[in-house]
Amino acid sequence: MTHAPVLKVENLQTRFKSVQRGKYVHAVDDVSIELYPGEIVGLVGESGCGKSTLGRTIVGLEKASAGRVLLDGVDLSTLSGAALRNSRRALQYVFQDPYSSLNDRQTVGEAIDEALLIDGLRSADERTRRAKELLEQVGLPHTARDRHTRELSGGQRQRVAIARSLAVNPRVLICDEPVSALDLSIRAQVMNLFLRLQKDLGVACLFIAHDLALVRQAASRVYVMYLGKIVEHGPSQELYDHPGHPYSQMLLASVPEVDPRVEKLRSAPLLKGEVPSPTNPPSGCRFRTRCPLAVEDCALRAPASHVLSPDHNAACIFAPDLHGGKRSALIHQAA
Amino acid sequence: MQNEPLLSVKNLTVDLLTAKSALRPVDGVSYAIRQGQCLAIVGESGSGKTVMNFAPLGLMPTGVTTNLSGSVRFEGQELIGLSEPEVRKLRGKSIGFIFQDPMSALNPVRRIGRQIAEMAELHLNMSPRAAEARALDLVKLVGISDPAARLSQYPHELSGGLRQRIVIAIALAGEPKLLIADEPTTALDVTVQAQILRLLKDLQQRLNMAMVLITHDMGVVAGAADNIVVMYAARAAECGPVDKVLVNPRHPYTRGLINAIPRRDDPIGSEFRGLPGVPPTLGAPIQGCAFAPRCEFAVAACTRARPPMVPTADSNVCVACPVVNQGKAAA
Repeated sequence: MTHAPVLKVENLQTRFKSVQRGKYVHAVDDVSIELYPGEIVGLVGESGCGKSTLGRTIVGLEKASAGRVLLDGVDLSTLSGAALRNSRRALQYVFQDPYSSLNDRQTVGEAIDEALLIDGLRSADERTRRAKELLEQVGLPHTARDRHTRELSGGQRQRVAIARSLAVNPRVLICDEPVSALDLSIRAQVMNLFLRLQKDLGVACLFIAHDLALVRQAASRVYVMYLGKIVEHGPSQELYDHPGHPYSQMLLASVPEVDPRVEKLRSAPLLKGEVPSPTNPPSGCRFRTRCPLAVEDCALRAPASHVLSPDHNAACIFAPDLHGGKRSALIHQAA
Repeated sequence: MQNEPLLSVKNLTVDLLTAKSALRPVDGVSYAIRQGQCLAIVGESGSGKTVMNFAPLGLMPTGVTTNLSGSVRFEGQELIGLSEPEVRKLRGKSIGFIFQDPMSALNPVRRIGRQIAEMAELHLNMSPRAAEARALDLVKLVGISDPAARLSQYPHELSGGLRQRIVIAIALAGEPKLLIADEPTTALDVTVQAQILRLLKDLQQRLNMAMVLITHDMGVVAGAADNIVVMYAARAAECGPVDKVLVNPRHPYTRGLINAIPRRDDPIGSEFRGLPGVPPTLGAPIQGCAFAPRCEFAVAACTRARPPMVPTADSNVCVACPVVNQGKAAA
């Protein structure tokens, strides 16, 4: 990774006014991430941890309250008008639910045409040619152009949604749970489409998901988010094999096994309770209220980020021990 | 185990007639469940898994005419052909329900305690005071901290996991013998999912209930269920004990589904395994095996006639696949 990141998020903060007067919901708090050209990066965490808000803030669907989003080194907040629109085009979003992200009254052709018009393709012939190309890229027959989106299945609709975001030649796709609304037998097809797009078009992908197994296989690197903060990030294999944060470790261990022989050996569920409110996050380490390893020090100050191996960081005072296998949030729990 | 099953479904077919179209979401499905057991019904959306469980109990959208045939016997009583008032006596009392989305299953403008208590009043003829006491017991039973305070809260004040616990408490209020849980953990996080599944399994064993777990997620089956029915396009494809079906799936669809789940040892960036094609749309009746167009083992016999559910070499496992069953005959 000697080349420059295509997307760089620096100390990004998104906060919303709370219903409690004078208080704020810190949905995203001081988050920095990087995305290199042509890589798929996972962003995982429980619901309410701010992962969708982070994605939405990056593309400008939410307003950042602090921090910067740099696309190819250019700070998007310094741009306006046509320059901003041009940059935004390079940054596309794929939504979770392909049933609500497409207009039922449009045909597939119209839906894609709209995106191409925005891209400035004036000639109708040119647009038809490009639409054909896009449909092919996402694995739909070009005869699909004349069908209404409402006639399509979930998997097909998600392909149309992807074709639409590809229409403007983006460099970065932010995919927010793009396959969780799809049936299991269809999921693999759409996942393989993402892998192919990454290889063929070199599109970088921020893959927001709660399905950890899916992310491990698709992403080269993973960010783990908890209550508005990135608690750990690293290369997927390394992070899945040697997690350095108790939250990552427990999250990974709570994925159910298909094999009943393995599943029946499982002890009590690991992570107790749920994510606390982001309006009043715990002092110090935000995970401490659910962490079996928490000590007094955790409440006093936010833990520093430890570098565990190249490009693998975790924000926990025990990170080196956890990473080295000298300590475990799982064993502690069982005792 | 010699006694009659608590719920016995034989050759159940459901036809739905709307103003414009006729659908057959369930086509000749049979299964049984005994007291104290958990049966998982697994299938993709549109496979008929939910309709199959809800239609015999009169839980269908309005504006749709539902025609049922076959037999559904609960505690020896035939449910098909039962009048609505009689079905209503069972619903919520002997048969409890847990729905997928805990937010829409609860009344947003009434307190939690009242919603639980009204079930006890209705089904167990309890006085309001006794019902309130029972509500408190139930909230404790489903493992909610600070139970007394929770009773006076509204659903929006609770998180998804807590709401689902309340829905479970309501389902248990009528002391059901059978609990039907429709995707109880789909709307929840992995971490909360593990907690809720553990709770359901625990309660089911402690109260010696039978439980039907409807899900599309193979992952939740292994830890909770004793038996499994795999549904595909309105029909059962495979059924048997979980230990056997998940470890050694025989039907090509079951195999494909299990194979499609990413594994820890899959290389990063490798292709995802899946099934080719898409599930058929309901509507036009399918001549042969519904899975044949997507099946790599399909032979001519598959498209000729509908394959029957036949016991395999292991007589506990039944599979509706001519190829698998033919292999057995040859062996």
